[in-house]
Amino acid sequence: MKDNNNISQELLETIENYLIGNLSGRDLEDFNRLLELDEDFKDQVEDVKTTLLGIEAQSLKEQLDDFHKEIPETEIQQELALKKSRFASYSRIAAAAAIIIAVGSIWFFIGSPNEKLYANYFKPDPGLPTTMSSTNNFDFYDAMVSYKHGDYQIAIDKWKVLNAQKPENDTLNYFLGVAHLANKNEAEAIPYLERSAAAEDNFVFLNDAYFYLGLAYIKEGQLELAKKNLSLSNIEEAKKLLREIDN
Amino acid sequence: MGKKLHLLTQNQLLNAIKTNDSEVLKYVYTNNYPKIEALVLKNSGSIDYAKDVYQEAFITVWTHVKTGKFVPKNDTALQGYLYRISKNKWTDVLRSKAFKNSTNLDNNHLKVVKEEVYDEPEDKKLNATMGAFEKLGAPCKQLLKTFYFEKKSLKEVAIEFKIEENTARNKKYRCMQKLREMVLASN
Repeated sequence: MKDNNNISQELLETIENYLIGNLSGRDLEDFNRLLELDEDFKDQVEDVKTTLLGIEAQSLKEQLDDFHKEIPETEIQQELALKKSRFASYSRIAAAAAIIIAVGSIWFFIGSPNEKLYANYFKPDPGLPTTMSSTNNFDFYDAMVSYKHGDYQIAIDKWKVLNAQKPENDTLNYFLGVAHLANKNEAEAIPYLERSAAAEDNFVFLNDAYFYLGLAYIKEGQLELAKKNLSLSNIEEAKKLLREIDN
Repeated sequence: MGKKLHLLTQNQLLNAIKTNDSEVLKYVYTNNYPKIEALVLKNSGSIDYAKDVYQEAFITVWTHVKTGKFVPKNDTALQGYLYRISKNKWTDVLRSKAFKNSTNLDNNHLKVVKEEVYDEPEDKKLNATMGAFEKLGAPCKQLLKTFYFEKKSLKEVAIEFKIEENTARNKKYRCMQKLREMVLASN
């Protein structure tokens, strides 16, 4: 690359004025003639143009995070935040927790210890965001809407159709499993969860799959299998539950 | 700008973008983000990815507006263009080996397809200038930003920096030289 760096203050300012559109009359004519005749001069002008564009682009880039803070939180972000805090922040799901504690305490008096544990730890998976309107995977998200409304049987029926076409789809198996579990049918849930837990190590819901599988086995009274699966999950609740079983 | 931003025509919008009207830039930025976030989230991405891809696309679109590569064809052309550039950038991420290795991506679900828009050949020189400007010392950076990005006059710059106008002019020249040296050194 040619060294265009040595440029006098006057020339630099003239080029700048040209680029901003501040040259006129004779000055502009002279400038344009020089542009046509002198390749080096043309390069120099291009060079200054890029420099100015770079200064502006970088200045803008450094402002974007400030702009970003002004975007109202979207529904999707709220849902994701909720999902993230599912096992961490109880304050955000205080209402749900209260119900679970209430149900849990009923079991405390009438249920078996296993059912009590299950009730204390089971919260349906919140599901995936469904606010987007694209036709991609429409059927999958249509079922997700039902699932999130608590219409577990409807969701299961819809997902089963997809599952018949793609029995190996880990995400589908996972949600069929958790939907059956939420529908209080652990016997049906277990095969699906087992299949999704057999996914590759980087499967997004792998830790959740082990956790729910552990819960399902607790409900079934199969504590050894429950322990085995819980110990494979890195979710905090799974570890806690494991300690409770061991005690 | 006293005008209602959503009533701006494409040409008014583009002119405001060209002069770095901060209110308009922010308006365009904040109003178009949700669609791109939805796109990325629905196609195996995360919120962090959505933000990165969107910001990159935003700068690309701004550059195309500035250099006249983008010419609006209808009333929502700019918004559509921003979406398509974002989509293309996200497709590139999805196809990248690094991303495939880090996720359990089922190729059957890879439904995003690159749309036909102007495919940006990477502008190395522009990137080098941006990188150099990022690292430029704070006093020079502030002065050049005020002059070239905020489009303040030398007089306004002089007042803002509490210096003589002529000093501002000389400083600006020295800072430009410094920046250009850094760009050359980075090549």
